[in-house]
Amino acid sequence: MSLIDVESVPRRTMTLFFMADTSGSMAGNKIGALNDAITNILPMISEISNTNPDAEIKIAALQFSSGTSWLYDEPKNAEDFVWQEQKASGLTSLGEACCELEKVMHRNGFMKSASGSYAPAIILLSDGGATDNFDQGIEKLKTNNWFKAAIKIAIAIGDDADKDELKKFTGNLEAVIEVHNIEALKQIIRIVAVTSSQIGSKSTSATDTTKQDQVVEEIKQQIENVDGANTAADPAPAADDYWD
Amino acid sequence: MDLKKGQTVHLTTGGMTCTVIEELGRGGQGTVYKVDLAGKKMALKWYHIPPDDKFYKNLQKNVDAGAPSDAFIWPEFLTVKENGSYGYVMKLRPSGYYEFGQYLLARHQMKSVSAILAAAMKICNGFKLLHRFGYSYQDLNDGNFFIRPEDGDVLICDNDNVFPQGEKSGIMGKARYMAPEIVAGGIPDKFSDRFSLTVILFMLIYLNHPLEGAKVAACPCMTEGNEKKFYGSEALFIYDKDDHSNLPVRGVHTNVIRRWPAFPQLLRDTFADQLSQQKLKNPQSRLIEQEWEKIIAKVRDSLVFCPKCRQETFVDSSSNTAKCMECGASFDITRRLALADRSIVLTPGTNVFIDMDNIVDMKIQTATNGEMMLQNVSNNSWSVETPSGKIRVVNVNDFLPARPGLKISFGSSIEGAPNAKAEVK
Repeated sequence: MSLIDVESVPRRTMTLFFMADTSGSMAGNKIGALNDAITNILPMISEISNTNPDAEIKIAALQFSSGTSWLYDEPKNAEDFVWQEQKASGLTSLGEACCELEKVMHRNGFMKSASGSYAPAIILLSDGGATDNFDQGIEKLKTNNWFKAAIKIAIAIGDDADKDELKKFTGNLEAVIEVHNIEALKQIIRIVAVTSSQIGSKSTSATDTTKQDQVVEEIKQQIENVDGANTAADPAPAADDYWD
Repeated sequence: MDLKKGQTVHLTTGGMTCTVIEELGRGGQGTVYKVDLAGKKMALKWYHIPPDDKFYKNLQKNVDAGAPSDAFIWPEFLTVKENGSYGYVMKLRPSGYYEFGQYLLARHQMKSVSAILAAAMKICNGFKLLHRFGYSYQDLNDGNFFIRPEDGDVLICDNDNVFPQGEKSGIMGKARYMAPEIVAGGIPDKFSDRFSLTVILFMLIYLNHPLEGAKVAACPCMTEGNEKKFYGSEALFIYDKDDHSNLPVRGVHTNVIRRWPAFPQLLRDTFADQLSQQKLKNPQSRLIEQEWEKIIAKVRDSLVFCPKCRQETFVDSSSNTAKCMECGASFDITRRLALADRSIVLTPGTNVFIDMDNIVDMKIQTATNGEMMLQNVSNNSWSVETPSGKIRVVNVNDFLPARPGLKISFGSSIEGAPNAKAEVK
């Protein structure tokens, strides 16, 4: 064994969760854009993970419609993660999805890692409102310590998304990003996923704000350049007919 | 707003412009483009969101002042504010250099221990000059360095947060590299730079983080609260002399477990002192870069080539014989060059560095009769006084025998050590 032989430093794992609404209302362009966007960001996430000495990024994905299912039964490296094209049909079991997420966010579940973990990042995408018992699901999820520490961002697709529910999920309205067209949806998925993946390995300008706030702040800056996207905390546009 | 191929960007210097050739990379703060500036290929960093006016003025000042040393990829030109933002022009990073993180991930490997020590020396030298110019770097982390594996040459990047000592750039630094007092909410300065420098040197040499041992590994989730604890209020060096609760873990912190005993005692003592509770809590008592340079020079003085297997090995200079760390062969290390408080071990094939510039000043070779010879590979002649008082001149590339009692006056031959004197012992 030579003096100069070394092995990689141990890295903590940061799991990036996608919770994707695949209910019937997502049919058409929306589900197409979702499939396309996630497939395209996987190589970017892989690159971020491979060049990052602080954290190894793994991906887990849950789809929810009339029921829920995990795409894989453990988080996977981005290069090993093959996104299975989702089809839209059925209802919106967001409450059940919260329960499913709670179930896996334990050390004997998805959060096992030899070198430990960073708090996960969770991206929730939905275009409607829960058709099951959302409140019961979210209340249970909120007791989970991994969830409490997680970066939580919701993407509200179109005007029918239930922003109150999404707000309950993320903890504040600022972290709910509204998208109003297909191109914006694709861009926002990329911006949110990349920003969340990079946050632990970047220099910060403040030590008194949370990572969630930092991610939201960066996303806000970037969505200024995206037509048809804004945070739900922004004022709604004035109705022309009222002020006419 | 992104720039386009062929777009002209105006500089603040005498009506000059540069033209965008292609995008090179995209970071959190900005995008880097390859540009043509009066026929020369340069790099332009263009901010996504333009930082405030204070930042802009500071960049202009740094452009005007010039780089502290050739290690810095320094802002050379500033653009005017246009297209909704601004940027600065710097040299392109030459090929053959890899980001520090690539070494941490073992995707690249330093080619020799002397290259590792040369990199450590060059990093210390860069920050010594930066601080001497009155700046603080403020955001020292593993992303700032590019290193050439063959010789350990270093390039220091991301110099846009360099501000006068005591002034706030607005950036706090990166988790795991920030000094405990910054984690607790302080303002980065040259003293916190020195903590980050110690972490970088430790990681360069031992390839593990100095505060990440058993205690940190046992933490399942590194939340923000835990980060504040492990890198701030409860920061504990893995080899703390009094508290053994954060020792490296076998199978996890493999590199440091292997290298810690293999590298010299002087390094162990220095890191243990610099990362002691006392120094962690007293930023102003941290070692200045010049002292670090001296320590690295002494460490290098005890790195020799084994006469048998020709591999690098450290020797204990308090002893007269050494055992090769690679092949186990024993060999004699009685012959030394005494220079100030240094005792440089002389063995055939070893290179001697008199000053801190990483340029070999003396080579040790063997004459046909087996006698060890010292070759002058510096810039000028040396004058050597024999035990009987005769003066001999050793010109560049000439030799003197490594005989005890010979006194060497280096004169002007070594830039970083004018009029240095040494004696063969």
